[in-house]
Amino acid sequence: MTDVHFQRMKDLPSTHLLGAGTAMCAGCGGLEMIKEVYDVLGENTVFVNAAGCMTLLSVYPFTPFRGSWLYTAMASSPAGAQGVRDALDILKANGRMTEEEDLEVVVLSGDGSASGMGLSATSGAIDRGLDFIYLCYDNEGYGNTGQQTSPESPHGARTATDAVGPGNIGYKKDLFSIWVANKPAYAATVVGAEPLDLARKIEKAHELEGPRLILSLAPCPTGWGYDPAHTVEIGRLAVKTGVWPLKEYVDGKVVHTRHPGKRTPVEAYLETQDRFRHLFEPVRNDKVIAEIQARVDAYWAEVDVDDGTKA
Amino acid sequence: MTRALITGNAAAAWGGRLARMDYVPAFPITPQTEIIETIAKWTERGDIATRMVMYESEHSMITGAGAAAATGVRVFTATSSQGLLYGMEMLYTVAGWRAPFVLVNVSRGLASPITLEPDHNDIMAARDSGFLQIHCATCQEVVDSVLMAYRLGEDHRVRLPVIVNLDGFYLSFTREAVDLPSADAAAEFLPAFDPQGTEFRAGKPVSQAVAVLGGGTYSYFRYEQHLAAQAALPVYDEVAAEFNDRFGRLHPAIESYRAEDAEMVFVMMGSFATKAKDAVDRLREAGIAAGLLRPRLFRPFPRDAFRSALVGKKGVAVIDQNLSMGMGGVLHSELASALYGAPDAPRALTSFVGGLGGRDIAPAEFYEMAHATLRAAETGETPPPRLMYTHSELREMRKLQAAAHVERHEQDIA
Amino acid sequence: MYRIRFHGRGGQGMKTASRVLGSAFFHEGFEVQDAPRYGAERRGAPMNAYVRADRAPIYERGIILRPDLVIVADDTLVPIPAAGVLQGLDNRSVLLIDSATPEDEWRKRTNIGGPILVLPLPDTVDRSSLAMIGIACAGAAARLIGVISEDALEQAVRDELAPLGEAVVEKNIQAAMAGYAAMSDHAGTVSEGVPAAASGAGSPDWVDVPVEEVRLSGPAIHAGATSVEVRTGLWRTFRPVIHYDRCNHCNWVCSSFCPDNAISVAEDGRPVIDYDHCKGCMICVVQCPPHAIESVLEVEAAAAERRGSA
Repeated sequence: MTDVHFQRMKDLPSTHLLGAGTAMCAGCGGLEMIKEVYDVLGENTVFVNAAGCMTLLSVYPFTPFRGSWLYTAMASSPAGAQGVRDALDILKANGRMTEEEDLEVVVLSGDGSASGMGLSATSGAIDRGLDFIYLCYDNEGYGNTGQQTSPESPHGARTATDAVGPGNIGYKKDLFSIWVANKPAYAATVVGAEPLDLARKIEKAHELEGPRLILSLAPCPTGWGYDPAHTVEIGRLAVKTGVWPLKEYVDGKVVHTRHPGKRTPVEAYLETQDRFRHLFEPVRNDKVIAEIQARVDAYWAEVDVDDGTKA
Repeated sequence: MTRALITGNAAAAWGGRLARMDYVPAFPITPQTEIIETIAKWTERGDIATRMVMYESEHSMITGAGAAAATGVRVFTATSSQGLLYGMEMLYTVAGWRAPFVLVNVSRGLASPITLEPDHNDIMAARDSGFLQIHCATCQEVVDSVLMAYRLGEDHRVRLPVIVNLDGFYLSFTREAVDLPSADAAAEFLPAFDPQGTEFRAGKPVSQAVAVLGGGTYSYFRYEQHLAAQAALPVYDEVAAEFNDRFGRLHPAIESYRAEDAEMVFVMMGSFATKAKDAVDRLREAGIAAGLLRPRLFRPFPRDAFRSALVGKKGVAVIDQNLSMGMGGVLHSELASALYGAPDAPRALTSFVGGLGGRDIAPAEFYEMAHATLRAAETGETPPPRLMYTHSELREMRKLQAAAHVERHEQDIA
Repeated sequence: MYRIRFHGRGGQGMKTASRVLGSAFFHEGFEVQDAPRYGAERRGAPMNAYVRADRAPIYERGIILRPDLVIVADDTLVPIPAAGVLQGLDNRSVLLIDSATPEDEWRKRTNIGGPILVLPLPDTVDRSSLAMIGIACAGAAARLIGVISEDALEQAVRDELAPLGEAVVEKNIQAAMAGYAAMSDHAGTVSEGVPAAASGAGSPDWVDVPVEEVRLSGPAIHAGATSVEVRTGLWRTFRPVIHYDRCNHCNWVCSSFCPDNAISVAEDGRPVIDYDHCKGCMICVVQCPPHAIESVLEVEAAAAERRGSA
């Protein structure tokens, strides 16, 4: 592997590839992440999109991508990536296409597809060792339809389908571990609010071959209920509180790229968002807040504070 | 050219082989599995330079097929029944990508109840998907139709995927003598796939299958697909004529058997239509001028060809091996629509449903359909649609019901 | 039939406003249709909502092409053709704008023949709350139409906002009544439109869509970054303004975090905001290390720009 180019913030690009003018909400954390990822991957990419918020990135005749794009469906974007990758390999192998014409194949999917309907297709792609990047913007709900509860909605969060009671009674699915259990070429969590960490991971992923997961928390002002100006703050708080661990799986090990020695209490993160407001008003729900904290604590109890590895 | 005794499934695989398929996304399902096993054996032995990849579902398989075609390789794939329906979302989706490939469907009845035996409800469910459809009646037609399907779908005036349909068991597992074109002759008939500049390459951005907003934009793209499908009618005739020139076998959009001078005509699709040919011969011997029209092309629907072939006939009996719940036979409805308002249209257009779940159609049933249709033409009174089902079948059904303990108790009856 | 169109931006409460008016008509015994109309765009993007009301069953559906009353809750939308504010207005259609700009000025700018009214709202209405302006607009519309009583209007506000609690309901009733009162001199200005006659409707101008090659007729885009042609800057109600005297040319923060790639860094290291595309999320304002970016009300910034260029 070549040296990492992104050592300091100043190494991040000051011009960006992704075109402006998309239909995403103002302050979209998912779009912020995609913009950062695209700067590193470059335009020699084909994004294979699963139905979700980002379907509306490309609406005829407008696309923000300087490279290519294929819309598939909600359940089968990894299969679309398989078809594109296999076809490119066939064309290269029999001399109908040059190496220079090749593309990095990137699935773009929301959490609803990634951890729900599309999981079967992801499973198949991993089984086949597909050479692709799976880029998931996790906004913790079916965002494009108005933030209904998805497999990635966190415990206690109110959504459009858990709107008036205690919030989601389920727990966020651990998609990272599902991937890691199957020994992919690479897996990492990122967030747009930590662009340097993100750039290093995307660069690393780009240089590897095989199934690679980039799982990004995507703070969503519309679905989570906060002022769009606070997307970066909330992303950072997710990291500082340990709610969203930044980590990577490479060479058979999970290593945390940030391991906050002194974590901020989770309520600092929860109270920024309307979806958790009911845990604080009109009366504070200490039981649920404590449970959320305890789960985060239990996670980090298994992380070695010195080298960031996980037991 | 070699002559071989092969199954319909093997014929389908040979069609792909002779078409120099680059890529085969695959998933097993009875009665189609033999196709992908045959191809797998060829690729493993190095007989063909094809890459076959097992997907984890038909939904994914059809996605991968469309995506690979959109990237510029020649794709062959196959499925059946429940598999076709599991992939149904993607049939509609990839047809809109306008990236041609060939999907072989081995027809099998649909659940519920689940069955392995054939009928056409699976393929009828794909009727409005945007895939063109060619229906085969013999193993020879299967191999020929796969080759023709690539020429048709890849034509720049068409650019749509094509389903080649064959009946489970009656063709899939049945061996018949088949003339296999030589590889060179096939290559002369079917040149290399030209993706026409819509494929994904570095330096040539294409955003494919993007969302649209507004009915005007949507209507345009959808209607263009329809126009492309309609354009396939004359293109099909060209392809069939050229195929005939090269290989001496004519596969017209509608096969006509003794129909030109017939008074009554059977209309049906698929392998059971050869039974109708037999019935036509026997009826002719009995002094009844019967004939058969068998559409090979179902999408696009050869409406004008049907009209000109059927005007002036006394009666037409449509035999549907499918059932649209609450309506009846699909082919009957389509033919009624095609003939409506035609000057000198047949006086009687009768509807018969048979062959569901592989149920046989007996010669006596063909004869009765002919008589009933001619009676209707005489009297002007068309009988209601008829399911071919006999007293003995119902008696057998009653025995099964008894064994299943579904008999009614005395108190229920009171 | 009354045909009323509300224009605002996603998130400004136009759907609620149209529903309040719809419910008010309903309480007066009318047959009603009300619906919001969205595109793919999100919060801040122009949207509209409509209400139809009639004593007889309503057979029309979908967007209102010939409105009797158009209500504009955000006057920055008027000059935007894509917002369609002025679409279908004729000499009897009433245009009601919530604006600081006077009526004569709007007549000059829009060049329409029908009545134009600017909604004067008392200070009791919280103008910083866009939803409150929407409700006031619904109240004003009720009075302009002239067949809706205060009781029906109040009940309609209760119907639509009850889940938000009594305090919110009371505040909104006040806003609705303020709008209602503000239009007392113009009660009944809006009249019911008559249906267009079948005779003389003209040809629908149908065309036989030609068969076209797949490069044209497939839903594919054959170029990169065409999205820059979409002016998402129109979504903005506030704009970030960089005070270059305070900018320390850090090079990356505002530009890195802007989700929309609307901040580029010039060769001299100065960040430059692309107002054609900035949606006004204000992430840059919050993130700028030396606090060199300020959030300014879009209308004021635009006015300052006009003064600057004049």
